[in-house]
Amino acid sequence: MSNSAIPSSTIPMEGSSVAEFSWEVRSPLDRALVAGPYGAQGDAGVALTEIRNFDLVQVMARRGKASEMAQAAQARFGVAAPETPKSIGTSDATLIWSGPDQFFVLSKGGKHSIEALAPGFAGSASLSDQSHARALISISGMKARTMLAKLSSIDLHPDVFGVGAAAATSMDHTSVTLWRGQDRGGQAVFNLLVFATFAESLWHTVLDSAAEYGVTISHSEEL
Amino acid sequence: MRGDQANRLNNGGLIDRSAPLNFRFDGKTFFGFKGDTLASALVANGVKLVGRSFKYHRPRGILTAGSEEPNALVELRSGARREPNTRATTAELYDGLDAASQNRWPSLNFDIMSVNQLFAPIFVAGFYYKTFMWPAKFWEAIYEPAIRRAAGLGRAAQVPDPDHYDKAWAHCDVVIAGSGPAGLAAALAAGRSGARVILCEEDFVPGGRLLADGGTIDGLPAAEWVARTLAELATMPDVRIMTRTTLFGVYDGGTYGAIERVNDHLPVPPEHQVRQRLWRIVAKRSIVAAGSIERPIVFAGNDTPGVMMASAMRSYINRYAATPARRIALFTNNEDGWRTVETAIAAGLQVAAVIDARPDVSPAHRSLASKGGFPVLHGSVAGVDGGKTGVRKISVSLAGGARAEVEADGLAVSGGWNPTVGLTSYHRGRPKWSDDIAAFVPDGAPPGMVAAGAANGAFGLGACLREGFEAGTAAARDAGRTGSTGSMPVADDAAFSLTPLWHVAGKGKAFVDQQHDVTASDVELAQREGFESVEHLKRYTTLGMATDQGKTSNVAGLAIMAAVTGKSIPETGTTIYRPPYVPVAIGAFAGHHRDQNFHATRLTPSHHWAAEQGAIFVDTGLWKRAQWYPRAGEKDWLESVTREVKAVRSGVGFCDVSTLGKIDVHGADAGAFLDRVYINAFSSLAVRKARYGLMLREDGLVYDDGTTSRLAEDHYFLTTTTAKAGLVMQHLEFCRQVLFPGLDVQLTSVSDQWAQFSIAGPKTRDLLKEIVDPAEDLSNEGFPFMGAREVKLRGGLTARLFRISFSGEMAFEISVPARYGEAMARNLMIAGKPFGVTPYGTEALGVMRIEKGHVAGPELNGTTTAADLGLGKMMSTKKDFIGRVMAGREALVAPNRQVVVGIKPTDKARRLRSGAHVIPKGEVPGPDNDQGYVTSVCFSPVLDQWIGLGLVERGRERIGEIVRAHDPLRGEDYDVELCNPVFYDPDGGLQRG
Repeated sequence: MSNSAIPSSTIPMEGSSVAEFSWEVRSPLDRALVAGPYGAQGDAGVALTEIRNFDLVQVMARRGKASEMAQAAQARFGVAAPETPKSIGTSDATLIWSGPDQFFVLSKGGKHSIEALAPGFAGSASLSDQSHARALISISGMKARTMLAKLSSIDLHPDVFGVGAAAATSMDHTSVTLWRGQDRGGQAVFNLLVFATFAESLWHTVLDSAAEYGVTISHSEEL
Repeated sequence: MRGDQANRLNNGGLIDRSAPLNFRFDGKTFFGFKGDTLASALVANGVKLVGRSFKYHRPRGILTAGSEEPNALVELRSGARREPNTRATTAELYDGLDAASQNRWPSLNFDIMSVNQLFAPIFVAGFYYKTFMWPAKFWEAIYEPAIRRAAGLGRAAQVPDPDHYDKAWAHCDVVIAGSGPAGLAAALAAGRSGARVILCEEDFVPGGRLLADGGTIDGLPAAEWVARTLAELATMPDVRIMTRTTLFGVYDGGTYGAIERVNDHLPVPPEHQVRQRLWRIVAKRSIVAAGSIERPIVFAGNDTPGVMMASAMRSYINRYAATPARRIALFTNNEDGWRTVETAIAAGLQVAAVIDARPDVSPAHRSLASKGGFPVLHGSVAGVDGGKTGVRKISVSLAGGARAEVEADGLAVSGGWNPTVGLTSYHRGRPKWSDDIAAFVPDGAPPGMVAAGAANGAFGLGACLREGFEAGTAAARDAGRTGSTGSMPVADDAAFSLTPLWHVAGKGKAFVDQQHDVTASDVELAQREGFESVEHLKRYTTLGMATDQGKTSNVAGLAIMAAVTGKSIPETGTTIYRPPYVPVAIGAFAGHHRDQNFHATRLTPSHHWAAEQGAIFVDTGLWKRAQWYPRAGEKDWLESVTREVKAVRSGVGFCDVSTLGKIDVHGADAGAFLDRVYINAFSSLAVRKARYGLMLREDGLVYDDGTTSRLAEDHYFLTTTTAKAGLVMQHLEFCRQVLFPGLDVQLTSVSDQWAQFSIAGPKTRDLLKEIVDPAEDLSNEGFPFMGAREVKLRGGLTARLFRISFSGEMAFEISVPARYGEAMARNLMIAGKPFGVTPYGTEALGVMRIEKGHVAGPELNGTTTAADLGLGKMMSTKKDFIGRVMAGREALVAPNRQVVVGIKPTDKARRLRSGAHVIPKGEVPGPDNDQGYVTSVCFSPVLDQWIGLGLVERGRERIGEIVRAHDPLRGEDYDVELCNPVFYDPDGGLQRG
């Protein structure tokens, strides 16, 4: 199911008989996230942005069909799917390694929803919709690495974890996918996919870890 | 505002005289300066008595100036922040510091328990074992509390720590322990090579012994060289110097533990900051430049306040400009101890005498003595006259047998130096003996580690710099960093010239381990009683088992043992070294994981809606689940739960069941795969159908259950129990990757993708018709029992609908993508309003499953077979599956197995309790007659009485039999009837209707 089927705004029920209700989307961090400054005052060392309402599809090769899957990915995205812990950005999607012979397709607006991808990967890969199964948090700022060192056992030194590096790892005993996106404003950007039902819990841990550096919190619909 | 500070020198020291600080010790106010430790400030204020000893309550003073301190332990801070056993020698002074001495009552000066000294002859090694053996029950009631009052250290705060701690990882090429000359030289070489370096220094100022002993390096005074070196290191972005950080442990794979005292030097951590941080440092190489620890000589009265390590005395005078005594004597067996005399003279102190145990001293020192007008006595200290006010007179045994007396108020002692071999020995390494310095030195180290400088037994300043620089260069090279290391810092080496002396025989108590009050005669007694092995010596006398872990006492203890057994010290050997090197607060190990953050928490998609409804939540694993939804006026949980059950059974209710594990099973062989992991067949399941499945472990016992639906030819949607979701996923991945790699199967957890609700009750269809698009056929024909397919909802959303029932009612489960989960709960409330829709929690869910005789966690308990659960007929005979063979074992098919059966008290008013044992009527309760137990109970609103399920021997053959429910835990014993476990709608007509 693509998110674009039901926009994030409230949709009145069609042909309502007895009841009036709407299908409002709510991000797993909808309640916990309070936009604005948090923690120590002054220039924020950490910026946290929750990205909402994305499409996320897990693509796993069928048995013995890894090369067919790679061809299908090449045909669809114009780039080779990552075969090692990397993320690869295209103009409208990010392909993130998630394990041997599998990767995520992260996108917006339904262009690469599971329904859109299914024909191209028919026979070569199994697809599972994970759009609602994750929350996506983007982490940047002067103190981003210092803060992440409290949560992640991964070495995030720029020489080791460069732009495009990715890891399937854990934070606070919670499985996450972490990758480094393109720098913004000269600063590294770390993207974190966390299971939706764990998101609020990890969010509070992130806030506790970041509070001493000062935090600026926001949410966005843009990837 | 500097107070008296009578023992503070007017000049010198690394203290900031423009920053006076006031502090309190035992309620009395003193002043010190920024840069002081609590110990140095006490020295500056002339405080000699700082604590009472562990067993004998003897007056004790400050012995050292570092983390090896055995005596000067205080309770730092007060209230919830009270920290017992804090070493005054490392506690950084801050304004308003409040400390109290330990183990004394009513006061340090007048301590009633010091009468223990009168009984000292009986408080010897093994005292507890010998004295408190009988009667056994007296131990807990009388002996232990009395001993705990009399002996001991500080008091814990008894209330939760209000401060925060966290943990962090760091990565580098080279981690260095210690910032003395060797550590700084190593950092310089490694840093210049381009390596990523972490330098840990437990002090709050880098420099190590250079801070107290100075010296000349590269022609510069040591302080200038340190400043220049730190400035150069500061220009290297990948070199990180962590002060207030002790590298305390070595773990596998190049991982090191370190504790950073981030804000211990402040009264309260600044807002949002932690008190301490535990570091896990991953390093390709490590260099132990942790220096060495000066060791005492054991002699009578060596614990008298005013007796101090010679190097500590230099630290107080040179680093802190605080004089521990006005007229000092030195007792040494080596050349290095003489530096304290030089320091004392330079500071304008009187030198009473030098007692040198060696046959001769250098001409230079002889001339120093004659110039300074003090005698050099060849011999050793035989006793100290003094008490809580400190040293007064020192009695000396001269080499020729004569005696002498020296009047002094301070006695500096140097028995040589022990390299800090802990870190190099933590992987069960044993250090080796070096005759040159009469000390243990590292003999190898964990992979990737080397020792350098004094920690490696190289005591000269020049040697420290050289070893450090070379180790830094080599470590960087090993890590692939090959930049130019530039020139090596150089300095001269001073002579060490030691003649070993461990113990001076004499009258009076001579302490080996001052913190645990272990004397030389205790060591001798242990030997006489057969505890000769060092590990036995340690346990029998408690030598080295105190908070200081014997840093100043272990080697002396085993040297004395060696002497009485006639063995050499290396033959006697050392005990095992174990981390942590210094005590680490449990709070630091816990870090963020305390209170509500003890573990991660999972929230269901409708959690916040349920919270709005006033739901009571229960922790199930990591989940918070709505347990029931109390309404105004309901007096207890039972009333709420009974209302919820009745509402479902008479109308309609819904429950968030998103916590069930959900797994997408894809692939051409998905059905074949499920046939192998479940006892029943799934390849035969039609598309758009669901089936209940049971899986066994390899050993034939039941593992998990749940419904699995076939959404497409090559796509199944499998559900697990909440508790086993992760484990089943692991198990299936193992099956897929290891057992059946030839099958085309892909597994993906979609537990978090779907918000799933159970909607149950006779009015379920009425409610669903309001939610689901009118074009969808929900009739029994259009959507029969165990049907499963996608449906359109009003508003265009697509959902998955499953006609399955756990409650026994007409029921569906509906799934929507999780971000619509909360909207679904709200819409069910709106759409169901005309039908009196009632949200229900896990308690009502449990009641209805017991009424319906469905098994759950208490029955799927890892000891039951499919047949035990009444599901034996599900085991397919037409295919193989995991657990099939082992399930046929004799014991698993024995006729007298305990099987699931219904249980209800014969007295309808009686409450049934789970855990009660089933005993045949007329038999005596006991293991011989125990035929099973009650596993699950509930109050059944349908039957209007308490009912339950149990595992009972041959239970299903005994339906109608009256047995006893025997509950010794609650003191209950009552009659119950074994009955059909399906209490409600046994024909299943309701759920099919």
